[in-house]
Amino acid sequence: MASIDPALVEFLSSGVVLGCASRDARLVPRSVWPVGIRVEAGGEEVTVFLPVATAGEVVANLRDNRRIAVVATAPVDHRSVQLKGQVLEIRPAADDERAQTDGYRAALGRTLEPLGVPRMFVLRLAHWPAHAVRFRVEHLFVQTPGPAAGRTFEAPFRPPEPARS
Amino acid sequence: MISLRDIPECFEGIIPAMMTTCSLEGEPNITEISQVHLVDDRHVALSHQFFNKTQRNVRENPNASVLVFSPRTYEQYRLQLRLDHAESEGPLFEEMAARLQVIASHTGMCGVFRLVSADVYEVVSAEQVHDFMLPPDPRLDPPRRVPGRLEAMARELRGLQGISARVNRAGCLEVLLESVLQALDEELGFRHSMVLLPDGRGRLVTTASHGYGSGGVGAEVPLGEGLIGTVAARRRPMRVAGVGAELRYWRTIRAELQHAGKAPSAPEIPLPGLPDAQAQLALPLLVGDRLVGVLALESREAMAFDVWTETFLDILANQIALGIDRAASADDEGEQLPAGAAGQGAAGAPVQRTRVFQLFRNDDCIFVDGEYLIRNIPAKILWKLLRANSENGRTEFSNRELRLDDSLGLPEVRDNLESRLILLRKRLEEKCPDVQIRPVRRGRFELQIGCGVQLRESDSA
Repeated sequence: MASIDPALVEFLSSGVVLGCASRDARLVPRSVWPVGIRVEAGGEEVTVFLPVATAGEVVANLRDNRRIAVVATAPVDHRSVQLKGQVLEIRPAADDERAQTDGYRAALGRTLEPLGVPRMFVLRLAHWPAHAVRFRVEHLFVQTPGPAAGRTFEAPFRPPEPARS
Repeated sequence: MISLRDIPECFEGIIPAMMTTCSLEGEPNITEISQVHLVDDRHVALSHQFFNKTQRNVRENPNASVLVFSPRTYEQYRLQLRLDHAESEGPLFEEMAARLQVIASHTGMCGVFRLVSADVYEVVSAEQVHDFMLPPDPRLDPPRRVPGRLEAMARELRGLQGISARVNRAGCLEVLLESVLQALDEELGFRHSMVLLPDGRGRLVTTASHGYGSGGVGAEVPLGEGLIGTVAARRRPMRVAGVGAELRYWRTIRAELQHAGKAPSAPEIPLPGLPDAQAQLALPLLVGDRLVGVLALESREAMAFDVWTETFLDILANQIALGIDRAASADDEGEQLPAGAAGQGAAGAPVQRTRVFQLFRNDDCIFVDGEYLIRNIPAKILWKLLRANSENGRTEFSNRELRLDDSLGLPEVRDNLESRLILLRKRLEEKCPDVQIRPVRRGRFELQIGCGVQLRESDSA
C-alpha cells in the first residue's frame, strides 16, 4: 500500500497530463486520457475520471481484471509519476463531480497554453459524462526521464532543479 | 484502419505520445515517450535508451498501445503494436541515433546516452480516437483557411521554379547565395536561412545568412556537431520539429543526472541562429559525394518543416550545390560582372580616423581596434592586401595571384577562394566598413580604404 503525500496531491492538481492504462484478458494493453483526478481522504485511494466517449474498452478491461496504472506528467518539465493499483469501484460520475473535471481542464489549459497549445483544445476535450474509477494505490513510481525513472517513489515529491549549464 | 502516411505530423515529436505495455503478470504500465518514428505504413520504431519497465514488458509480452496526437488538429490516434524486432545497426538505427545526439548536443549531453536499439513494432491497428474532441463550435472555433494540397503544391512548384531561375542567373557565388536565401523567403516564406561552406579544416563557416540581422556571417560549426555539423558529416538532410519540447525533455534528464551526481561536464551549447527556434531543417549541398555546403533553415513554427518540405527543398539543394560548384570554379579574369555584383565601396570617403589591424601569427587571427575580425586563410588574405596597400599603394588584386601565393595555404584543388573572399568581405562590412573589398571584374577585386590604417603584428595575444 502506498500513500500520497500533500506535495504529490498538489502536483496532481497542477495541470498535469494524465494517462490511464488497462489490459484485457490476453494481456493486450489499452489506455485513455482521463479528464480529472482526485486523491481521496487518507491519501491511499485515488479517483480518476474517464470520458464515456472514449473510455469504453478501458473501462471494460478495468471491470474485468481491476488492474490499473495512471501516469501524471508535467508538460513543462516532464516531471512524472506513475500510480498503480486495484480498482475498487467504477460508477458514473455524479453531477457534483463535474466541477472536478472542469477544474482539471482549466488547470491543464493554463499549463499547455504557454507551450503553444491553444486553450480551445482543452475546451473541446470530450469530458462529460464520465466514469469515476476509484482505485487503491499499491505502488508509486518515479517516471521522470533520467536515471531515477522506474524507481519506487519516495516522498516528498521533489521539484525539478534547473539544469546548470 | 487508417493509413499512418495520412497522419505524418503525429510522428514529428512535437507532442509526446503515451505508451502502454503489460507484464506477463498482467500489470499494465504507462509512460510518456518523446517520439514515435514512422518507418512505413505497417511499422513504427521507438528508441531504446534505458532498460526500464517498458523495455522489460515488451520483451516478455510484445503487445503495446500508443496514443499519438496531431499537432495540427490535436486529434488523438491509437496504435496497437507488437514488438517485431530490434535493430542496433543499419540506416534506421543510424538515423535515430544521429537525431538523438543532435538534440542531446544542444544540452551538453552528447555522448552521455547512446541508443541501445531502434525497436521496430508492427502496427496491428491504427485508428482515430473518435469523440476525443467535441465538434468545433463555429462561434468559438472559426474555421481556418487551410490551402488545399493541390493549391499548396502549385505554390511550392512556382517557388521552386523562381529559385531555380535565380540560381541559374547568378553570375558569382555571392549573388547566388544571397539571391537564393532572399528567394526562399519571398517565394516560399522561409524567413530564416543560412548557407555554411566547408573551410577545408573540418569546420563549416556561415557565408551567407538571411533573417538574422547583420550578424551571423563567420560563425563556425565543427563537422559532426549539432544539427548542421551532423548533416554535413552524414551527408543526409535532417529536421527537428518541436525543438522547444525536445530541449525541455533533455534539460530534465540533465537536471536528474545532476541530482544523482552524474552530471555531464559539457556546457549547454546555445542553438545557432534563432534563440527560440521551434523547428530546424538542414540539407547537405552535394555535388556527387562531395560536400560543398549546408543549407540550414529555422522557424518559430513547430510544424514549419515536414517530410514534403524536406523532399522538395532537397531538389533545390541539388541545384544550389551545382550553382556553388559552378561559381567557385568560373572565375576567369576579365569578364564584366553582372549588375549588382560590383557594389559601391568605401573609397572616396574622407579619411577621418585610423583603424588598427592586429595580426596574431600563432593562430592567423586578425583583430581590428581590439575586436575579433577574422582568422585562418581569409585573415592571411586580408593581411597580404593591407600590406601591399601600405607598402606600395596597390588597390587592385586578382584571384590568380592569391592562388599562386603559397604563404596563404590555399589547397591546390578546390580551394574555395571565392567563398573565403565572400566571408572576408562580409566580415569587413560588419566589423570595419571603412575597409572593403569589391569585385571589379571576374577574378579581380579592389581594396577600398576609407580610413587611416595601422598594421601591427605579434606572435600571440
